[in-house]
Amino acid sequence: MIVVDGLIKTFGKQRAIRAVDGARFVAADAAITGLLGPNGAGKTTVLRMLATLIPPDAGTATIDGFDIVRERACVRSRIGVLSDARGLYARLTARENVRYYGRLQGLGGTALEARIDSLLGQLGLAALADRRTQGFSQGEKMKVAIARALVHDPATIMLDEPTGGLDVMSIRGLRELLRSLRAAGKCILISTHVMQEVALLCDRIVILGRGRVQATGTGAELLARTGEASLEDAFVSLLGSAEGLAA
Amino acid sequence: MTALDRILTVSGKELTDTLRDRRTMLVTLLTAIAAGPIFFTLILNMAASQAEKARDLKLPVQGAGNAPALIAFLKRQQVTIEAAPNDYEAKIRSGDLDVVLAIDAAFEGDVAAGKAATVRLVYDRSRDRARAAIESAESLLRAYNRQWGTQRLLLRGVAPQVASPLEVQGVDLATPQQSGSLILFLVAYYGLFAALMGSIAVALDATAGERERGSLEPLLATPISTWQLAVGKWMAIGSFDLLVVLLTLAGFYLTLNFAPLPAIGVPFLFGGAELLRFVAILLPLVMLLPAVLLYVGLRGRTLKEAQSNVSALVFVVSMVPVVQLFLQKKEPAWLLWVPVSSQYTLLARALRGDAIATAVWLQSATLPLLLTIAALLAAARLLRREDVFAGR
Repeated sequence: MIVVDGLIKTFGKQRAIRAVDGARFVAADAAITGLLGPNGAGKTTVLRMLATLIPPDAGTATIDGFDIVRERACVRSRIGVLSDARGLYARLTARENVRYYGRLQGLGGTALEARIDSLLGQLGLAALADRRTQGFSQGEKMKVAIARALVHDPATIMLDEPTGGLDVMSIRGLRELLRSLRAAGKCILISTHVMQEVALLCDRIVILGRGRVQATGTGAELLARTGEASLEDAFVSLLGSAEGLAA
Repeated sequence: MTALDRILTVSGKELTDTLRDRRTMLVTLLTAIAAGPIFFTLILNMAASQAEKARDLKLPVQGAGNAPALIAFLKRQQVTIEAAPNDYEAKIRSGDLDVVLAIDAAFEGDVAAGKAATVRLVYDRSRDRARAAIESAESLLRAYNRQWGTQRLLLRGVAPQVASPLEVQGVDLATPQQSGSLILFLVAYYGLFAALMGSIAVALDATAGERERGSLEPLLATPISTWQLAVGKWMAIGSFDLLVVLLTLAGFYLTLNFAPLPAIGVPFLFGGAELLRFVAILLPLVMLLPAVLLYVGLRGRTLKEAQSNVSALVFVVSMVPVVQLFLQKKEPAWLLWVPVSSQYTLLARALRGDAIATAVWLQSATLPLLLTIAALLAAARLLRREDVFAGR
């Protein structure tokens, strides 16, 4: 479970840019939570703080009860992160890319190899497992990056814009994977600005605008609250109509 | 999982990655292996042809008939006398001729009138190749001058010592290995150069390359700490650097000891003992340079940015020995503390056949070791900065 409590993160000279400005939300286990927001709303910054990559200026967040600042090492071994940057090592094979992260997570031996085989199989990469990732397609690279993030079977999974650049078949495959992970009891947080993704996949939606949580709830709750017919209209009405252009 | 396991995991991955980069590998390793042979063949051929020139001097002479006694003297000294072409000055400028002796038409008349006779030695001293011929022609003319003057004094009943009260006796203390200091410089220089060039491509790929391709951010979200990451990468870069240095030195060793080189006395020794001394002397740099490159590389957001930062480092490291060579003074003692400079000094000493005392080696290794630690700490700090992956 992820608990975010008043996170603040500023950048720039005199800390003038408030990228995240007191965000507060909860992502439950065995559920997919969608972090929805326009460009520049602070989604990536929230995920980076949760991934312990950057410390917050103020506020706290815990993952399964572990503080993201004080108990960084515990957090890191419990999370699987598909970050904004998802570069692979082109001269290593898919298997070696995943193995590297497995080793860094403290796995090894036949258990690790079995885990890699089953993950790559699940993602439909079995045939490509021992080829260098150099010539992989966008979707294939994404799958390797996902396998790498999940190699240590983390209880919490965070994905930043996971469907970007993927074709329909790959997106469907990814959805199925995320649903099966939810069924296995994982806490899943995805950030996206693709409305359709949210509608199809997310149990709860956290709408982020100007670094603050503007609304939370299920899709149906958000529709009821705004009185709009579609999630897109609800999103626009919750953020204020000018937000999309201003951001 | 211990810290060491993680460090070794990073090193192993970086080395695998590096060794699979076939183009970089070919260029780096081939240059390292080929450097010694190519280098020595060129240098030694140059030295051999100079020695040959000094041995049998061919001297084109203009107006040979004006001073038959001088020509006879030169011929006695095994000089082959040729007639100089009319355009000899142009030929010297273009490098076709090394040196020409022009004898004044008034030579005999001046001698008869008791005046000093004039000969002109025409050459272009800026041409290294011609130096041996110029010097031997000059010294032959000096010898003739001396002989002639001595004969005149004797004819007048004056002891030659009256005219030359000072007798200069040069005592050259250089062992055979100490001469040929330029060649010596080049060999020591190339040893340093290998330690620098061996690690650049690998270091940049593991640092700025990692940032550029966006694999650093997910890596930092794993349980590895930044110092483990820095040390792991440094170990990989350093191992590869050591490999390049060993290959380069092995090339030197094999060429000098087994290749059919022109039969001239090699002005220095490069045997098994020197090989080991070279490795020992360069070891502090094999630690330091990869650590510095790691730091500099991490500062670059892209490979291109890092490359331009590194060229500043390359400039400094490659200029230090050149400056030292041109200073032409005895090095101050504190220079042995200075990284790069101390290694260059010790390499030159090892080539001259001097043993390197342990205390001196420790002195030369002290600062590199401290700076290595400082660079690794700085690199680890850099990896903790938020802009190391943000703002790509």
